[in-house]
Amino acid sequence: MVDKIKIESLSCYYDKKCVLESLNLNIVKNEILGVIGPASSGKTTFLRTLNRMNDFDITYSRKGNVYLDGDNIFDIDAENLRRRVGMLFAMPIPLPMSIYDNITYAPKRLGLVTKKVDLDNMVESVLRDSSLWDEVKDRLAASAMKMSGGQQQRLCIARVLAINPEVILFDEPCLSLDPISISKVEELMVELKKKYTIVLVTNNVKQASRISDRTAFFLMGKLIEVDKTDKIFVSPKEKKTEDYITGRFG
Amino acid sequence: MKKALDFVVEKIVFICGIASIIFVALIFFFLFKEGLSFLKDFGVLKFIGGRFWYPSSSPTLFGVLPLIVGSVFVTIGACVIAVPIGVMTALFISEIVPKGIRDILKSLVELIAAIPSVVVGFIGMITLVPLVKGIFNLPTGLTVFSSSIMLAFMAIPTIVTISEDAIRSVPWQYKQGALALGATKWQTLRRIILKAAMPGIIAAVMLGIGRVIGETMVVMMITGNSAHIPHSIFEPARTMTATIAAEMGETVRGGMHYKSLFAIGLVLFLITFFINFIADLFLGKNKNT
Amino acid sequence: MIKLNPKLSQKFSYMFLCLAAFLATTPVILIVFIIIKNGTSVISWEFLLSMPKDGMRGGGILPAILGTLSIVSCAIMITLPVGVCAAIYLNEYAKDDIFTRIIKLAIINLAGIPSVVYGLFGLGIFVMFLKLGVSIIAGALTLSIMELPVIITTARSSLDSVPYSFREASLSLGVSRWQTIRHVVLPNAIPGILTGTILSIARISGETAPILFTAAAFYVPHLPHSIFDQVMTLPYHLYIISTQIPNMPKNIIYGTALVLLMMVLTMSCIAIFARIYFRKRRKW
Repeated sequence: MVDKIKIESLSCYYDKKCVLESLNLNIVKNEILGVIGPASSGKTTFLRTLNRMNDFDITYSRKGNVYLDGDNIFDIDAENLRRRVGMLFAMPIPLPMSIYDNITYAPKRLGLVTKKVDLDNMVESVLRDSSLWDEVKDRLAASAMKMSGGQQQRLCIARVLAINPEVILFDEPCLSLDPISISKVEELMVELKKKYTIVLVTNNVKQASRISDRTAFFLMGKLIEVDKTDKIFVSPKEKKTEDYITGRFG
Repeated sequence: MKKALDFVVEKIVFICGIASIIFVALIFFFLFKEGLSFLKDFGVLKFIGGRFWYPSSSPTLFGVLPLIVGSVFVTIGACVIAVPIGVMTALFISEIVPKGIRDILKSLVELIAAIPSVVVGFIGMITLVPLVKGIFNLPTGLTVFSSSIMLAFMAIPTIVTISEDAIRSVPWQYKQGALALGATKWQTLRRIILKAAMPGIIAAVMLGIGRVIGETMVVMMITGNSAHIPHSIFEPARTMTATIAAEMGETVRGGMHYKSLFAIGLVLFLITFFINFIADLFLGKNKNT
Repeated sequence: MIKLNPKLSQKFSYMFLCLAAFLATTPVILIVFIIIKNGTSVISWEFLLSMPKDGMRGGGILPAILGTLSIVSCAIMITLPVGVCAAIYLNEYAKDDIFTRIIKLAIINLAGIPSVVYGLFGLGIFVMFLKLGVSIIAGALTLSIMELPVIITTARSSLDSVPYSFREASLSLGVSRWQTIRHVVLPNAIPGILTGTILSIARISGETAPILFTAAAFYVPHLPHSIFDQVMTLPYHLYIISTQIPNMPKNIIYGTALVLLMMVLTMSCIAIFARIYFRKRRKW
């Protein structure tokens, strides 16, 4: 087991308010790490720190360090970091352009792929990887805004795959989806962990128990417990964890 | 390379961003520079309090009072007409008519704003002025009254558009609540919506005043341009704007008369600055509620 | 005081409101009607494409049309890039601090300065201080500063209407800030910026006071050669022939007003319809 990400005493603040307190956590290569916890437990802040999307919030500040393959992510270029650490949002956000352009958008801007043939191949392969190819192969030029919610979310996954990241962060990716789409996205995540390291923030405890290898429980900005998923769900060490996953609060 | 581009772009847009500050400062500086040297030579009190504007007699007199009074007269006249009509139109457009008619009315109001002021002045000259002269049996139709009417027409788009925004941004719950208590739609409009939208409507009126006080061509063409303090609205008058526009052509560049017009410009600048500042305060208030 | 039945009072009030709306909107129709009715008779290619004759009492208005077109196109070429960049700064880069508030206050203040004061300023800085003389460029610069707040405000609201999530999606893929603006935000804001620009062009085409002392000439016997020439302009020409020239044939005045009005109204209508069209077609 190789650690992909190492988080060392990370604390995050909005204005002066501490939302995440001295977090120490390692994320293992090719695992799905589930992050569960009630609202305002710091999950999303944690996730958005990992690819520095919080940089745009001027009220945000932090202490501590995060290492990606040994590189301190706060020392490397933020745009390069975001290329290596892709992100999916709670609501699917297709850009207002065609399906094809949505996928080629970032690789073109970043100069990863430039030739038309390579772009075509890349589009096909990422759409296959996100199991969307059969549904959309005949209408790649159609607007992505016209797809269903589940399709849009898988398109967003394809779009992230197109920049060839190492880690993919999922921020409650199934919040707005129907049960069938959810199971498709979950299958996809399990498939994806072969190639990528995945962090899944979710409000849905069952989802974490279904697909994550390890699960971390956050409460009020603190990491209460992290362990193998079956252990957490069968015999948690902490009382609070047990209360949460058995539905006594949250 | 990519980084460098981002850096350069950020600097360019920043410079354009602060351009507005630079321009306001420059405008103030140029008005102040010429205006101040005039005020030093002529005297502030003689300028502000002087009742006679005789820039080409000898000795020259630069009393700005009749011009200020002229501006104030036409502005008040225009407001008396434009404010009720404008606010009522805004109510009508935003709360009463169906969407189709609303779009047509709004487009018409917007077209008023598009008509060049010189065209409004010309139409006023050719239709309204003889009418006023005939009806009230006056020696001339070029009066404060005529220009108030035309200026009211020009202020209406400003008042309608901004009041309408304010009325429409009143939360619909207010309305629902009042209607649910059995108030008629009109009672709701008058007692609830109008009250809640009041800061925005005040801002609209202020901006309308700003528009009228700064208007030049219309007042120059139909107010008669006589620089004495008018005793009634059926007499000619002369505004600050018209004075600048009409006399700048005859002045010697850099001379006393030339500088005096900059001093008037400075007075106008300060008045409109104040008006817009107040309007902005009220607009900000409207947003917070 | 007699207390009216609420239903009845509602009816009366609605009638008043309707009357107000009628009073507010009919004059514009009336004005357009009067000018079209009296002006159409003189409109001909000769009127549009020839020089004035007999001390303006005959001939055409070509130099005035060309003068207005050249000043307005120069002005918009200056103000559009500056205004859009300023809007990008305010909407995409600026922090919400005191400095930004000062910029916004400056913009509001610029928008409220009377047009004739812009004329004074243009005379002071461009004509006299920078020694550009009374010229197309001096007038265009004056107009461009006057129109700057309008362009900034419309461009800002167009940028602002592009959902923030689009920016977030693009940034999360490692795309840089400027590329995000250039490829995601701007393309979706262009329709709004475009309609705002057309409205601005319409507005400055009709302005007289700012160019009175900076660009406009009573009469120029030739067409403009360079941006350092004085020119005749349509609004100023209309002012001149309707107030300064005795025994001016009325139909020529009406004709000139008609040309100016049509120029301005056509552009405004295009902008209004374009806005409705783009709103319906919006993708999000």
